[in-house]
Amino acid sequence: MLEIRKLNKIYPGGVHALKDVSFTVEDGEFVVLIGLSGSGKSTLLRSINRLVEPTSGQIIWDGVDITAADHKQLRLIRRNIGMIFQQFNLVKRLSVLTNVLTGRLGYVSQWRSLLNYWSPEEKRQAMLNLERVGIADQAWKRADELSGGQQQRVAIARALMQEPKLILADEPVASLDPATSHSVMKYILELNREDGITVICSLHFLSLAREYGTRIIALRDGRIVFDGKPEEIDDRRFKEIYGEDAVQVEIR
Amino acid sequence: MTQTPDIRRPFSWQRFLRNVVFIVLAIAVYAYGWKVTRIDLKTLITDAGDIKPLVLDLLRPELFTREKQSIRLAVEYPVPCPPEFTPKPATYKGTVLEVKPACGPSNKVRLILRNGRPNTKALVRWHFPIGSDVVVAQARTDDQGNLDLVIARPKPDIGGDEGIHAAEVILEWEEGPVKISNTLRTVADKMVETIFLALMATTFGVIFALPVSFFGARNLMMTTPWGAVTYYVVRLVFNVLRSVETLIWAVIFIVWVGIGPFAGVLALTIHSIAALAKLYSEAIESIDPGPIEAITATGATRLQTIIYAVVPQVIPPFIAFTIYRWDINVRMSTVVGLVGGGGIGYILIQYINLLQYRKAAVAMWAIVIVVSLMDYLSGYVREKIV
Ligand SMILES: Nc1ncnc2c1ncn2[C@@H]1O[C@H](COP(=O)(O)OP(=O)(O)OP(=O)(O)O)[C@@H](O)[C@H]1O
Ligand SMILES: [Mg+2]
Repeated sequence: MLEIRKLNKIYPGGVHALKDVSFTVEDGEFVVLIGLSGSGKSTLLRSINRLVEPTSGQIIWDGVDITAADHKQLRLIRRNIGMIFQQFNLVKRLSVLTNVLTGRLGYVSQWRSLLNYWSPEEKRQAMLNLERVGIADQAWKRADELSGGQQQRVAIARALMQEPKLILADEPVASLDPATSHSVMKYILELNREDGITVICSLHFLSLAREYGTRIIALRDGRIVFDGKPEEIDDRRFKEIYGEDAVQVEIR
Repeated sequence: MTQTPDIRRPFSWQRFLRNVVFIVLAIAVYAYGWKVTRIDLKTLITDAGDIKPLVLDLLRPELFTREKQSIRLAVEYPVPCPPEFTPKPATYKGTVLEVKPACGPSNKVRLILRNGRPNTKALVRWHFPIGSDVVVAQARTDDQGNLDLVIARPKPDIGGDEGIHAAEVILEWEEGPVKISNTLRTVADKMVETIFLALMATTFGVIFALPVSFFGARNLMMTTPWGAVTYYVVRLVFNVLRSVETLIWAVIFIVWVGIGPFAGVLALTIHSIAALAKLYSEAIESIDPGPIEAITATGATRLQTIIYAVVPQVIPPFIAFTIYRWDINVRMSTVVGLVGGGGIGYILIQYINLLQYRKAAVAMWAIVIVVSLMDYLSGYVREKIV
């Protein structure tokens, strides 16, 4: 269970990006975060694994206070939280396989990993995860030789190497075309359904959010303005989230 | 009924005065600069003759030599010359030099050489009673080894004219097999020293700059207060080191370790460390931060993050900057010798000071060839890698 209590983030420039955000996520949920650009989705997701330091508030995960963790504890927490980014964030010049293996860095001894030595078991696991996202045949290519959709699947395989209990996905399909978006979303959904991994995923399009989320949390100007089931978002709610001038667009 | 807009900027006394002051100041600055740097364009024309021997000798570097041979014949010549006087001819191994004075107002002296070496360069040198001498003519012997020429008897610039003068003819030629000149050997030796000087300095530079550059990268260091302090200190040290030119470092190290290539290596190393570390740091600062975040998020340590997310991204720019530095170091290593830091510059300056321009020419050509070769080579490597 992930519990977020009165979370606030004020950036050094003075932007108040999160305002008293509180909610609880049960294990196994697929939560979709929506909201306009600048509403604070990325800030919220990054606060959970402290890529962004929250200004105040608490994040309690399975009884452990993430916000209070020191360096070492934080690393142990992070290795159980997979993260997927809009820009994939692969290391372009490394092979696909090595990129996947980096998901294991939190588990291996530091000195061994500095020599880029990986045990056969780790390599086998990496290949299995690549197989799972359907690109085992690309393992030896350089990461930047792959298409966007393939790169995002590598990123998913990298997250899987962490054997995560939680996956944070920050607009994972915003750089992809609609068809590829769906194929990538299906893999993330599969991790949620089959492996029971809790997913918190921000999405730009409400249509995608409705299709994949079991629960939707909407942010506006750093505040939660909606928290409920996808089907509860009617026209009035929609305008509360996206503003009076917005119109719904579909993505298929 | 549209009015044509007035496109002229309205006149302003303030702006006008500002411009006048600016122009006057500029004129003053440049006038003073002209004076302190003693710019004298006239000498470029009037003294053009001074550079001629250097330029000519540049075109005939002393690459090969043969053994030099010469014979000298001198005939004494009294002044004033008594009427009907015939100086005693000089002979050496069958070669005879006769001098026929013309004791009169014409001052012409006839020199006749017989049975000399055919087709050989002959130098006519006139010795004055006080001991000084002057070259009065250059000629060649004919096919029979004879020479017959009339010269005007020179007058000494200083000292008296009366006394025993002498007319000397020197035949000079080269003989025996063509050999690589000692100059070429020395220059080749020094060139090897020069290239290795650059290699050692570049290597040491890389070894030290590589680790330090990470501490001079803003994006890696600004995450903690101590990191920020380290960053500013490292940057400051680099800037100070870089602001002192290599030649000045060379002078400093010569005082420390003595004249020679080691001082040159140290000087180039110091400058390379500072310059490379700055370039490396900037390469690190301009990487994509995305992979750093992604690797950090997996629970990796700081060191692991740097090895996996930073290093792969900076390898191409690091190689490019290293080659670029190698280029500079090859160039600089030809120069540190001028102040005593070893390498080819050391002998070049000596040749020039001794006015041995043909030897200097060998060194200069060697520099041109080696530097452009290295330039081409590094350009080629750079293209292949980046
Ligand atoms: N590093 C930062 N420094 C200062 N302000 C920031 C920083 N990152 C984000 N912000 C500000 O915080 C607010 C929330 O940004 P955030 O990136 O969380 O929004 P978002 O919902 O993810 O938007 P988008 O859909 O564009 O990704 C914005 O006003 C943004 O300008
Ligand atoms: Mg965002």
